[in-house]
Amino acid sequence: MSKVGIVSYGSYIPKYRIAVEEIAKVWGEDPNEIKSQLQVHFKSVLGPDEDVATMSVEAARNAMNRWKGNPRDIGAIYVGSESHPYAVKPTATIVASAIDAEKELTAADLEFACKAGTAGMQMCFGLVKSNMIKFGLAIGSDDSQAKPRDPLEYTAGAGSAAFLIGSERVVAELEGTYSVTTDMPDFWRREGAIFPSHGNRFTGQPAYFQHIIDASKGLMENLGTKPSDYKFVTFHQPNTKFPLSVAKMLGFTADQIEISLICKKIGNAYSASSMLGLAAILNNSNPGDRIFITSYGSGAGSDSFSFLVTDAIEEIKTYPSTVDYYVNNSEEISYGVYSRYKGILR
Amino acid sequence: MSNNETFIVGYGITKFGEQYSTNPSSSASTAITSAIHNAKISKDLIQGLYFGSLLSNTNLQPFVGAEAARECNLNVPISKVDAGNASGAAAFHQAFMAVKSGLLDCIVVLGTEKTSDYVNSSKIEQILGGTIDYLWEFEQGATLTSLYAWMTQAHMNEHNTTLEQLASVPVKNHRNGVNNPIAQYRREISLERFLKAKRISDPIGRFDPATHCDGSAAVIIVSDKFVKQHSEVEQKAKIVGSAQASDKLALHHRTTLSSLMATKVASKNAYSMAKIAPEDISIAEVHDSYPIGEILAIEDLGFFPKGEGGKATIEGKTQINSDISVNTSGGLKARGDPFGATGIAQIIEIVQQINGEADKRQVDDIKFGLAQNVMGTGASSLVNIFSNMEDDK
Amino acid sequence: MEPPKIWRERRGRYLGLGILCHDCKTKSFPVTNYCPECSSEKVEEIKLAQTGKILHFTKVSQTADEMMFNAPYIIGLIELNDGIRVTGQITDTKSEDLKDGMNVKMVFRVLSKNGEEGLIGYGFKFVPS
Repeated sequence: MSKVGIVSYGSYIPKYRIAVEEIAKVWGEDPNEIKSQLQVHFKSVLGPDEDVATMSVEAARNAMNRWKGNPRDIGAIYVGSESHPYAVKPTATIVASAIDAEKELTAADLEFACKAGTAGMQMCFGLVKSNMIKFGLAIGSDDSQAKPRDPLEYTAGAGSAAFLIGSERVVAELEGTYSVTTDMPDFWRREGAIFPSHGNRFTGQPAYFQHIIDASKGLMENLGTKPSDYKFVTFHQPNTKFPLSVAKMLGFTADQIEISLICKKIGNAYSASSMLGLAAILNNSNPGDRIFITSYGSGAGSDSFSFLVTDAIEEIKTYPSTVDYYVNNSEEISYGVYSRYKGILR
Repeated sequence: MSNNETFIVGYGITKFGEQYSTNPSSSASTAITSAIHNAKISKDLIQGLYFGSLLSNTNLQPFVGAEAARECNLNVPISKVDAGNASGAAAFHQAFMAVKSGLLDCIVVLGTEKTSDYVNSSKIEQILGGTIDYLWEFEQGATLTSLYAWMTQAHMNEHNTTLEQLASVPVKNHRNGVNNPIAQYRREISLERFLKAKRISDPIGRFDPATHCDGSAAVIIVSDKFVKQHSEVEQKAKIVGSAQASDKLALHHRTTLSSLMATKVASKNAYSMAKIAPEDISIAEVHDSYPIGEILAIEDLGFFPKGEGGKATIEGKTQINSDISVNTSGGLKARGDPFGATGIAQIIEIVQQINGEADKRQVDDIKFGLAQNVMGTGASSLVNIFSNMEDDK
Repeated sequence: MEPPKIWRERRGRYLGLGILCHDCKTKSFPVTNYCPECSSEKVEEIKLAQTGKILHFTKVSQTADEMMFNAPYIIGLIELNDGIRVTGQITDTKSEDLKDGMNVKMVFRVLSKNGEEGLIGYGFKFVPS
């Protein structure tokens, strides 16, 4: 059976940034302490006329332009987010219309905290592998909310990443995927509530770390691979410290993860986080490279993937609108402007 | 075309301004009743009512022409004519055609508007969005003011028109408005005030646009036949030219932003009907909703070469009793702009001037006067020309 | 912006669409049943060029409630690289950084929000490129 994998990818990060110092000033906190704890210096902020749908479309269009295939051949679109513009009315249909993929396709919106996008990827792999569709588009996109004064306010950033899955001209072949899921109240938001709540230290070891470790070990055991078999690795990035720690715990080196770490400059892009890390890796990969990625979504679960880069990567990795381009296309704003853009001031 | 001449025999106009206690039909019926008294005719001779109003039949006002007719005890056919901001002149043009054709002999034309109930300026912007391409200009984010800003920029780029030249339009018009008893604003404003004001849509400044307000105006048009049957009724002006022309609705479909094709075509046709040239006009009421509106008008109507409207204004060539007297009433700027009423108010100024009734605004030796009314950014333009009938006597 | 209208105009607003006339070969905007130049019915929907240049731009501070969330914003008359002109906001930028003639590219943004409970309207805007 033909190989399935990633056929194209696209990213988008809004240009506005707020510095940790700006936020700390408002609450009388020590910015240096925060920066050393989290190793995050800025987070990305959407402009007033952006939302998860517009970011998803930009990322999806980048994936389409990089690919140069026919959007009408896409058989499924899934958008994972915890900040969809509507509670009822899918973001996925807006994307479908905006990339001219209407109307022979299935679509749905997903929510699983920061791993809704990778869950969408798995759904696409399944549909493609079973020959039910030719191409599937999985998007992770978030305009992350955090309660003012809460530590999460320093890192709740924004971004979007889109992955086109298929079996023709695959640039990164899927070697395997493995997931773990438990019912875990580490981070949640009730329907109608504006801001999420979380369990502080409880979100660390038993949540983020345990799930990533279980999923990653589980995948490597199934595939018979070990950390040194991989050129690159990336994990969900709620801050810079956590992915570096879990990499070390699993036996990966700092070199393997370095290129994918964008959290310091843009914060935690939630559903887009691990997918943006993967996009950054693909732009810097060569045929024959192996890539390992494990996402994490509170609630809780982790999706682990192993990819093998093919010759076809050369055709598409030079497309200009890269993660790097968006990370560096930035403009700082004040807390007052941030409050307006975030919708806290109405 | 028929040889049937047409005349204005009466006019009535309310004060223009914010009139919170006056309802739309009261304002309208006041103008109609004034016009009938001014004409000194029996209301039973009136055979039709044409009216123009941008806001009539929105939720805040009744189909005002019908209600005003009832209040004036007029049982006549009623037609509403809609041409956005030019509804007044458009209603006049339609009524003129009805009388000229011989089908009707005596028509009241009413222009009326009440904008002050809309206290939220967002609503007014949305209403004015209806006079431009609502779908592909307004809903894309453009407003009437922003489109006039582009037109001003184009004129400045192509003809080196300056901000001072532009500001000299409202300076002149405010000065003229001091002597207009029905004007909303009757005080002078200095050039500095206009130039120093914050730009709302660069290069348009905060005090540049005319202010929308409440007001009504009415005129009575009659035929040759009527005049012969009622020789005691005074003819106050003869309608010698009346034309309407259109252009593409959206600016992105036009070939130029520094000229209004609709004004050029309408005026050409009106001059041709009147058998005169622009040089024969001594007084003109033009659509100065924005300063560039007047500059474009005096160029497109043929009073000054294209590109020289700004220079002509700042050099005083459009002041009262200079080369051509433009907006002696104060224009939309000082008189105020009750959208549908403006077109008729412009015509009334010409009629008053022709009859020597303009007091301190009076222009000497008028043979022909012209009124120009524009919809939105120029998708429709109406030009009406009147004579003092001296040549006929 | 009413639901049927948002739905009917979505492709034109999201993708930027025009028509190509097969008889006189003219491209025009927006999508219409007949060619505005020669009245032919043989028209085909096309995608407009995604890049262009600014002909005129100015700021808007006051408009309908549905669009105030983004005010003040910049509105531009844009000439696309296929010769077609459109009206569109220039976003993610300040007036001071713009000049007539600058290159822009098309992006997808929120155009209108009908209050807190109503529909969100999306469409094309431009950013400096």
